[in-house]
Amino acid sequence: MNSIIGQKVKRIDGYEKVTGKAVYGDDLKFPGMLHAAVRYADIPAGKITRLETDAAANIPGVKAIALHSDIPGSDKVGPIRQDYLPIVKDEVFFTGDVLAVVAAETKEIAYQATEAIQVTYEEFEPVCNLEEAVKPESRLVHPEYKSNIMVHYPLIKGDIRKGFSESDKVIERTYRTGYQEHTYIEPESVTAVPDPSTNGFKIYGSIQNPYTTRKVVAIFMGLKLNQVNVIQSTLGGSFGGKDDIVSNMACRAAILVYKTEKPVKLTYTRENSMRESYKRHPYIMKYKAGFTKTGKLKAMQINILAECGAYSSQTFFVTWRSVVQATGPYQIENVQTDIKGVYTNKPYTAAFRGFGSPQIIFAQESLMDEIAQICGISPIEIRKINGYKQGSITASGQVLDQHKVSLQQVMQKAAHKANFTPKYKQFQAKNKKTSRYKLGIGLACSFRGCSLGAEGTDASSAIVSVQADGSVILLSGVTENGQGLRTTLSQIAAEILGIDLNQITFLQPQTSTINDGGPTVASRGTIVGGNATIKAANEIKKRIFSVIKDELKVHKLEQTVWQNGRIFNKQDKKLSINFNQAAEKAYFAGINLSAYGWFKAPEVSWEEETGQGIAYFTYVYGCQIVEVKLDTFTGKISVEKITAAHDVGKVINRLGAEGQVYGGTTQGMGYGVMEDFDVQRGIVKSDNVDQYLIPTIKDIKEIQPVLVENPDKYGPFGAKSIGEPTLELTAAATNNAYCMASGQRSYRIPLTLEQVKLGKNLKKPVRQSEASHSGKKLHPRLSNIKTITPVNLAEALRLIHKQKFQPLAGGTDVIVQARKSNKPIKLMYIAKIEELGKIEFSGTGCKIGAAVTFSQILENKKLQKHLPLLIKACSLIGSTQIRNRATIGGNIVNAAPCADSVPPLIAYGAKLKLQSAQNTREMLLADFIKGSYNTQLLPDELLTHIIVPKLPHPGYFYSYFQLGRREAVNITRMSVSILVHLNESGIVDDCRVVDGSLFKKPQRIKAVEEVLLKQKLSKDIIAAVQQPLSQKIEDEIGGRWSAEYKKPVFIDICQDALNDIWQQARKK
Amino acid sequence: LAASEEEMIALKFTVNQQDIEITVPDSMRLLDILREELNLTGTKEGCGIGECGACTVIMDGAAVNSCLILAEQCQGSRVETVENLEKDKILSQLQEAFLENGAVQCGFCTPGMLMSAKALLAQNPHPSLEEIKTALEGNLCRCTGYVPIIESVQKAAEKLGKDAK
Repeated sequence: MNSIIGQKVKRIDGYEKVTGKAVYGDDLKFPGMLHAAVRYADIPAGKITRLETDAAANIPGVKAIALHSDIPGSDKVGPIRQDYLPIVKDEVFFTGDVLAVVAAETKEIAYQATEAIQVTYEEFEPVCNLEEAVKPESRLVHPEYKSNIMVHYPLIKGDIRKGFSESDKVIERTYRTGYQEHTYIEPESVTAVPDPSTNGFKIYGSIQNPYTTRKVVAIFMGLKLNQVNVIQSTLGGSFGGKDDIVSNMACRAAILVYKTEKPVKLTYTRENSMRESYKRHPYIMKYKAGFTKTGKLKAMQINILAECGAYSSQTFFVTWRSVVQATGPYQIENVQTDIKGVYTNKPYTAAFRGFGSPQIIFAQESLMDEIAQICGISPIEIRKINGYKQGSITASGQVLDQHKVSLQQVMQKAAHKANFTPKYKQFQAKNKKTSRYKLGIGLACSFRGCSLGAEGTDASSAIVSVQADGSVILLSGVTENGQGLRTTLSQIAAEILGIDLNQITFLQPQTSTINDGGPTVASRGTIVGGNATIKAANEIKKRIFSVIKDELKVHKLEQTVWQNGRIFNKQDKKLSINFNQAAEKAYFAGINLSAYGWFKAPEVSWEEETGQGIAYFTYVYGCQIVEVKLDTFTGKISVEKITAAHDVGKVINRLGAEGQVYGGTTQGMGYGVMEDFDVQRGIVKSDNVDQYLIPTIKDIKEIQPVLVENPDKYGPFGAKSIGEPTLELTAAATNNAYCMASGQRSYRIPLTLEQVKLGKNLKKPVRQSEASHSGKKLHPRLSNIKTITPVNLAEALRLIHKQKFQPLAGGTDVIVQARKSNKPIKLMYIAKIEELGKIEFSGTGCKIGAAVTFSQILENKKLQKHLPLLIKACSLIGSTQIRNRATIGGNIVNAAPCADSVPPLIAYGAKLKLQSAQNTREMLLADFIKGSYNTQLLPDELLTHIIVPKLPHPGYFYSYFQLGRREAVNITRMSVSILVHLNESGIVDDCRVVDGSLFKKPQRIKAVEEVLLKQKLSKDIIAAVQQPLSQKIEDEIGGRWSAEYKKPVFIDICQDALNDIWQQARKK
Repeated sequence: LAASEEEMIALKFTVNQQDIEITVPDSMRLLDILREELNLTGTKEGCGIGECGACTVIMDGAAVNSCLILAEQCQGSRVETVENLEKDKILSQLQEAFLENGAVQCGFCTPGMLMSAKALLAQNPHPSLEEIKTALEGNLCRCTGYVPIIESVQKAAEKLGKDAK
């Protein structure tokens, strides 16, 4: 049989995505459309004492300003507890709260208007600490609810006191996780359009759950559900993230439509998105476990605080999944779990791929490894002893006998594929011999309930409509979020009808054309959407069968086979009819060829008081194994390999299923090692993707998907879930790998440089004055810029002198900074001036024009030969796109502490040529830079050339090390540049050691150089560097917040770079 | 400044081989010119600060972030966007490879990825794994885990190599 199920199938919505034709939210345009912008709260907590909009309203082009008082329906929304105000009334609860929303003729005018709205507050001390927030004396975030604890789920199984008393050993550990931001590459966008036919609205945009958005807008606007038609645009990533926030944005767009009767688009900048959008919940998890000497778990007591931030949102559901799965896939007779969702004045938290599982898996899998260690057994053995088997009973008392319990199978497959046990031993042996880099391998296992479970109504819809020519239209109540659901559901329909995939069109869903299929969440798209599709397609088959049975000489549908576009008599394949002809026949016979499929998930149950019940109708099992390389000097963890084994029930689209594994594990890896969403005193510091780091292509090494198939009786063709399981395990496995490498346990993710090195997440302390946003643009953007291109250098110098133009070359710094500035900016574009774009060599050295780009430097063969240290540093600046534009002159003049070209140039003794209309002067680069963003450049001067003198001897050794938080596109955390020359007897006769991002400005470190000069390189002499270097760092930056990390790390990387030079010299 | 008082620039450049003459505000970025003035919405905005690469286009042969280029900097340049990849209804090898190998999920990063990859293959028809990664390091993707994207570029390079022979 020519089945399409399980094949590698190209996604059916791929064509429009690779040609740029797919229409995403912000790509929409409507005649007369207005642009909206929001006015955010300036502080995280306080009463609004005055809100002044007159100045904003008077700006020409402003069409409407909507305030709380304009809301026609209910002002409060929310999935369970209605505590969220899309436009706040008289109090703010976090800095993503919206006080007013403006519609204007252009985006720029709308932004200006939001910035002209004046607000004064009576400030409250924000509630920022989760553990403080639960104390009775804490200020209440929402006094009306009487407690900061907004939800509490208990679970009691057996008798934990008895369990602990029967244990040989009891341990207690506390685990902590941070926020994770979805960072879909498409920021949110919604457009509301008046719909006179319903006296309501059409809502378009980046909407994950159209039915939710419809409901929220209807409530807010005081309308019926049939007056709001929500049409999902192509979605640029969601991962659970474009749910509540987009519904709230839709309310704001709708109210502006109500006021203006024009279409209104509200598109967020990345900064808006980072500030307002909800995140993954930070958790604090206390686990107490009792076990026997042999590693058998006897009792587990779990206390979890989940930070829900300013609003309840999906916390009710997220924490419920946590309580069901908190013990992990381990059978324990005695369990007590309590989880509480807690309000603070910080960004709120809700759905994010994994949904309350990545946190608890991190905790429980760390705990399992530690117990294994205590009992002297392997990580695999501990999970074999305790892990679920067929018929095991979960913490909620559910007997696992309705599906294949494949935990041991997936673990065994993962371990085999990853070569776990041999590698574990190999790495242990290797680590004994190495000093700086250590290897680690770790695993994590999970079970996960499929779909919504007892948390909500679980049903879905599909329509299969066959046209007279046999072409098919498919609609579904669940949505395409990028995961490939259109393709999967079309495959399922194609398989049932026995037709080619190309014969099916998946129609863009509209809430008014098909009934509520529930949200596309909880990895339920395939399982519930697929089942509804099967039901609809089977109904179609029955109806078509009624007109062809005589021709095929059969009586029952079961006597036919539908494949390859034909319908056959099963017994006599010569009797067959083309599907298209059958469709035509049915059409002319007046048969209804549009069928509705409705799937309601099997019954589940839950008892609130005890946390007992059939939580989910089926489960999936997964095991991931991660290999890491740990740099013990810097605390940097590189994830070298991920093996991900998942029981998916049945693969529908192999390409899609593997894609979920690659993507999910990458997000999970980011969660484990680098994604560090920083909120200080309620203020979001990670306001764009230069601050909040997600994995780049260089952070991904090898990912090995292992798809295990145990078809489930409830799944379409046996298929279950894959989206979320792929993410939930990676951070936990990474942490276990890290612990193996370092030889010590770790209890907090993300494993940032500081977390690894110091055991705490060091953060720049925020000053009180930073809490207000005055003086900065609320919405970073380019405005108020004047540009000019001088014809030559002389004109450029005149323009600086006479008209105070600032130079613009590549623009990669200037434009980023201009976005934030609220002053008018005059820029002259100098990159095309010929003499600034040359690289010239002479007997005395080389002269590099200030407007030479880094790509030009990297490509220059002579520079590669003569200035290898500079080449190495420049190759690590930004990205290819940045290096193609950014110039060496710009890097120097901007004088960012992290400027990568500066330290090597200082090492080479570079001089700068500075020209003004009247004067030309030269200055050492080392002197030019005064400090962070601070130079000796005079107001009318232009840096024209960088002059790098020839080194006094040939044959210098060099070493360069750059430390960043990830493998590419870093803001350099620290660097060290070293040039050393040895005379014929191996004595150091020249030595230049320069720091990057350590001292107030990059500089030659004489304290180090003096130790080495006139010495032979040796272990001892390199060791002798430590004391003076340590003293120098202490003197210079000892009091700074980052010194605790930077001091030991710089000493180590500096000595290692010297070692590198010593090794190079020895080889020669 | 209100919109009417904005400084304006008369810009001449080519986009996808078409000569463009247009008057736009000085504050306008190449990204806005493409999306808003020329209706080439295949180029996307993800961050506005040159970190995510969703807005990548090819300018005078080099991959650049169009969110970090002002109108003035476009004067006389040749710009190529994702809309230029499909010729006479035939997808380029890169586009085909992206589809075949699952390099597309939500698709929002895809135009930028394709343009970075195209700029690479134009300069370096036989890139190593490391060279592919370097060419694409400035393009963030949150869906695919990059693995299928790398495979796609490798396969497109192989095919292009064969076609050239």
